[in-house]
Amino acid sequence: MNKHQSPFNHFATDTVSRRDVVRRTSRGAIAVSLAGALGMGVQTAKAKSQDADLSGSLTIWGWEAALSSLQVVDAAFNEAYPNITLEYVQKDTSDVYQQIQLAASAGSGFPDISVIEDSHLAQFAPLGILADLTDQVAPYLQIMNDFKWNQAEVDQRYYAMPWDSGPVAVFYRRDVFEQAGIDPESIATWEDYYNAAKTINEELGVAMLHLAKARNDTRTFEILLWQQGLGYIDAEGTVILDTESRVQQTLEYLGRFWQEGLAADTESWTDAWYQEMADGEVATIPGAVWMGTFLKSFIAPDAAGKWGVFKLPTWGPEGSQASNDGGSSLAIFQTTEQQEAAWAYVEFHLGRVESQLEMYRETDIFPALETTYTDPLFEEPDPYFGGQPVRALFAETVGNIPDAGIYSADYQEMNSLLGSELQRFAIGEQTAEEALKNAADAIRERTRRS
Amino acid sequence: MPPMPSASAPDGRRASPEMGTEPSPIPDRRVHSGDVAGPRSSFRWNQGAARRLRDAAGVGRLWRFRWPLLFISPFYLLFAIFGVYPVLFSLWLSLHDWRGIGPMRYVGMENYRFLMRDELFWSSMLNVVILFFIYVPLMTVLAIVLASLLNAGFLRLQGMWRALVFLPHITSMVAAGYTFRLLLETRSGFVNQALGVFGLGPVAWLDDRWLARVSLGLLMIWAWLGYNTVIMLAGLQTIPVELGEAARVDGATRMQAFRQITVPLLRPVIVFSVTLSIIGTFQMYTEPLILTGGGPIRATETPMMQIFATTFANLKFGYAAAMSYVYFAIIVFVTLIQLRFVSRGDVA
Repeated sequence: MNKHQSPFNHFATDTVSRRDVVRRTSRGAIAVSLAGALGMGVQTAKAKSQDADLSGSLTIWGWEAALSSLQVVDAAFNEAYPNITLEYVQKDTSDVYQQIQLAASAGSGFPDISVIEDSHLAQFAPLGILADLTDQVAPYLQIMNDFKWNQAEVDQRYYAMPWDSGPVAVFYRRDVFEQAGIDPESIATWEDYYNAAKTINEELGVAMLHLAKARNDTRTFEILLWQQGLGYIDAEGTVILDTESRVQQTLEYLGRFWQEGLAADTESWTDAWYQEMADGEVATIPGAVWMGTFLKSFIAPDAAGKWGVFKLPTWGPEGSQASNDGGSSLAIFQTTEQQEAAWAYVEFHLGRVESQLEMYRETDIFPALETTYTDPLFEEPDPYFGGQPVRALFAETVGNIPDAGIYSADYQEMNSLLGSELQRFAIGEQTAEEALKNAADAIRERTRRS
Repeated sequence: MPPMPSASAPDGRRASPEMGTEPSPIPDRRVHSGDVAGPRSSFRWNQGAARRLRDAAGVGRLWRFRWPLLFISPFYLLFAIFGVYPVLFSLWLSLHDWRGIGPMRYVGMENYRFLMRDELFWSSMLNVVILFFIYVPLMTVLAIVLASLLNAGFLRLQGMWRALVFLPHITSMVAAGYTFRLLLETRSGFVNQALGVFGLGPVAWLDDRWLARVSLGLLMIWAWLGYNTVIMLAGLQTIPVELGEAARVDGATRMQAFRQITVPLLRPVIVFSVTLSIIGTFQMYTEPLILTGGGPIRATETPMMQIFATTFANLKFGYAAAMSYVYFAIIVFVTLIQLRFVSRGDVA
């Protein structure tokens, strides 16, 4: 904890609040070590006996979908901790990050707990504003999806508790595949997928997937890289976009879809994008588990039975079928005086099998907690997906998601720099090699990476 | 608001001779308060106090004015805290490397040096220059024409028309931006469907660099035309009707009178309106953010968007501060140049 006491004194605008912060922090440190001592190796049962008299009032920031999912188990939480009151503050996702930033600059104004996407967590973790949860999360290191810890970790200390993972598979239109005479089971490699795309395009004139050109958001490219354990950087933090040949091969693979007109050029998250998915104008969506939730709940709620899911095609015969897109964690702020109550909340919601199962059942947010995967819930057939036990399919691959250099402290900047170069490749203004070289050079110049 | 053009704008008819002799903004205020009697007369009082203060030397005199000073102090205190302090802190910040928290690392002029060869920043600067030429000339001409129509004697229901013209400006830009986005959608948007009726299109409004800039220009015109029209209208109403009538009596056509009499007399107001448009274009943020997100391929990315992303997405507070300062200097420079050129010296 000590190394995090300094960050608030960079300009002496308000000595009182600085002293206040330090005082709170040291009290927090005691609470943390206390909770750590109590919490080591013990799981859910301890809650009722020892911590039921924990009291306090917790403020939790998050966006709508995340908060409504957390609230699913609040009744049970209130029963276990009757003296802890919860106050949820709903904000737009980008506002959550901005306001955490502003609070960091001001040295005050943090909530007790916030939902943070993994794509942003790696940026916040090194700032010294999140509470060190290393002792508390120790029992969970082995039973959460391994890759989730990368974003939460700085120098072997952990600053967040993983919540959900985004295992990726391919959602496909059963009717389109049937008409084109393609058996989804036959698509084993990305080469097979490309051939199927050609057939579907020739026979039916339907695009295989959404892949915007001038307004591409790089997400599909990132999914394909992550599957191979690749990203912007390697484990040492060195930029590999232009040095690792598989990165270039992957981008050239996407290039074939652009050049041969096999993909629909529609920007993600626009109305047209949703509409084309609902109307079956794209045959597949290589997307994370939450894409299925979106399909079901608001993109194409009437399309029950029309969609199916198959595992990601592999790169070569031996390749992995697992990739990730998105995912979130819960972080506790260093400034909160209620470290113990905050951790009780986080552990109850994310570390307790029953809670995670209930949240998954009700709001379809996929647990990173691996001890949930043996529950019969995962074997249930999903009527929306034509009776396919989709949850089991994701549970089978999620454990194999590799570590990849996608989400890092400067992910936002690297993503933006790659984005415009990738777009110029998509519309044919430069080659894949040039795009990656330009992006890598820009990243090296701006992030002081090598 | 920039002081100089605003001071001369509402009374274009007496522009040239008097303005040249009055360099400071304070006497201009007197002209105003003379024009608008009553509520504005407090200006005159303030100004008298200010002059007496200037003449006074020593704390004793200050003490004499303790009550007036106390009464005006809230503004200066707030301005110092929320105006002066951030500006000076940003300058200090621009010499540092800072992630928004933790120690600031002094880097001297490094941020400015990097900025000089920062392609992204300069291409965003080029974007706003291009955008300026796409929409401001057209919008200014339209504003003059609309204002003349609204000012014309034959127009009935003048109040209603004026309100209608101004209405887009008070509409939420976020709502307007999303609406434009829907209208301009390539496949399902109303604009392309309408074009389709005539066998045209579909046009990829937001997927092509130049079309996206044009689309953004259309949004800007829609949102700001009413505002500029009202400024022009205010200017038109200061031009005595007799001048036009005299010209007509001498045989000028309506068009000739408009071009030879009205437009030249309106010039200070046009300068003012274009100046505001320059500043507005350089500060563009919400419009491109909603309509295009800065795309495609950064074609509509503005310096403000870059500064925001540098601060909040990339956590480079020091560099963003340097960007702000350079960009501020450029706006001041461009505005001064424009005043020099357009006004031919009678305002600047």
